Amino acid sequence: MSMMAVAEQTETEPVVEKKSPGKALWLLAPGVIWMSLFLVLPMLMMVYVSFWTQTTFTIEPTLTLKSWVTFFTSDTYLGALWTTVRIWLIVLVATVLVGYPAALFVGLFVKNKALQTVLLVLCVIPFWTSFLIRVLAWRPMLGKEGAINMILMNLGITDAPIEVLLFSELSVIIGMTQIYCVFMVGPIAFMLGRIDTSIIEAAQDLGAGFWRIFRTIILPLSMPGVVVGAIFVSVMVLGEFATSAALSGRKVNLLGNIIVTQVGSLKWAFAAVAGVVLTILMGAVVAALLRVVDLRKEL
Amino acid sequence: MNASGIKTGLGAYTALFLVFLYGPLVVLAILSFQTGPEGGPQFPIIEWSTYWYKHLFGLTPPSRIAPLPIEQALVRSLGLAVMTMIVSTVLGVTAAQAFRRKFRGSGVVFYLIVLGMMVPGVLVGLGMALVANTLGIDRHWWSTAFVLHVVYTFPFAFLVMLAIFNRFDPSMEEASWSLGVTPARTFRKVTFPLIFPGVLSAMLFAFTLSYDEFSRTLFASGRDLTLPLAIYGTFSVEVHPNVFAFGVLTTLFSFALLGTYAALMMLSVRRAKRVAIQEEA
Repeated sequence: MSMMAVAEQTETEPVVEKKSPGKALWLLAPGVIWMSLFLVLPMLMMVYVSFWTQTTFTIEPTLTLKSWVTFFTSDTYLGALWTTVRIWLIVLVATVLVGYPAALFVGLFVKNKALQTVLLVLCVIPFWTSFLIRVLAWRPMLGKEGAINMILMNLGITDAPIEVLLFSELSVIIGMTQIYCVFMVGPIAFMLGRIDTSIIEAAQDLGAGFWRIFRTIILPLSMPGVVVGAIFVSVMVLGEFATSAALSGRKVNLLGNIIVTQVGSLKWAFAAVAGVVLTILMGAVVAALLRVVDLRKEL
Repeated sequence: MNASGIKTGLGAYTALFLVFLYGPLVVLAILSFQTGPEGGPQFPIIEWSTYWYKHLFGLTPPSRIAPLPIEQALVRSLGLAVMTMIVSTVLGVTAAQAFRRKFRGSGVVFYLIVLGMMVPGVLVGLGMALVANTLGIDRHWWSTAFVLHVVYTFPFAFLVMLAIFNRFDPSMEEASWSLGVTPARTFRKVTFPLIFPGVLSAMLFAFTLSYDEFSRTLFASGRDLTLPLAIYGTFSVEVHPNVFAFGVLTTLFSFALLGTYAALMMLSVRRAKRVAIQEEA
């Protein structure tokens, strides 16, 4: 195939070649080969290894379902699967609830383009700082002697420090919501900014109140933004392990944490099973969300 | 919209939202000036000092708190980010260039590329480690981790370039071709200057994403630590304000990068304007 492309190119040498399909092939080949070797192959390898035989410290390429049976009969693994789904759902809802009003203000209510840009940039700036540092920054906020407890006690709202703030499921949810809500605000604000304001004005002229306008015009038109944001947030939260490692004190074990600990103890086959389960879960979530919106059209 | 009460409410909410986004980082920055080595990572500030910054650079007398292993890690992280930036930008530009014409299977290729930024690091990292184990290859930051970094950043570069090429007027290139300029020279002299802002953005994306990336690196890099891995290592132990001081410094570094990007962007826009004026005159 590639030889033919070369032949074609040399044949049409003097003429400016605009339509030779070989050229596109040559431009695409490096990227496609790279992704096939270093993305598709590792993922297939993971599926393959999940059926290998696990001994104490090594794996052997004798096919077996043992690791799969272990996964689905163990309370630890099933618990991690359930925790992953639960945390994902909570964080997804939390990012929409926290992010939507801010996106509504930036995308629809701020008429000044310069101010709009400044606000969006302010939302994006934390994204340029280290992810791990942002996670770690919640420790001095939420701890027993942390900033939030200190403020609450100084204001006389609580007498004793709230201990559940750090090293609990709540701290993981707070941390993830803060880190990922930016990915919800961006797409929603983008979709809201594209709404033709004359539609809203027409509705106002006809006597519709804000809630009615919000329910019948703004919310439906912003849904593609919510879905794109939901895809971003879902993929990132489902593949998480660092936030729970930093903020839960090992109390919250996501599938990602299971994979890290299994690899740490050289249980490659178990790690692969957890990886395949996570892949299937994520694929199902993304496929469901993609049914609602055509990502390529929105970009 | 004239619902001014709602507007005020949402404005106040957005201010709170920004406090939520920035609060932890501000607290972290304040606590990085805690006195050392006895001051802990919490309020109150016993005494303001730059002890933990000196601690980072090994300028303090040895204490029970081990210094962060950042010196070698910094070199590795920067090297890895530069390598990743170059390769993923080249791949992104060439792939997006191919996408300027419709071809069969473009949908499949599009999703194959975008998959690279969607698949979590923990999965592709695990897969890469398995491949390396099976083939008997040693894992290093400059080999197995590097190719995964490109898998992650190449889609970003690709999407940025795709957006640039969508707004690109092909008649400029056609004019150049019809004057007998070779395609290679046309790309250098006509296409590249026009897409330069996009290339710069792609490079910024690739560099910062790679510099910050750790889940892929964790599985695929073997024993040598990169900067994010050094930070990740502190998660399981007691945190001291030296990590906070490091956080402040690395944040400043990211801002310096953003500033450089903005300056280069402004220069390129100004040059484009000057050329436009010359053409008109």
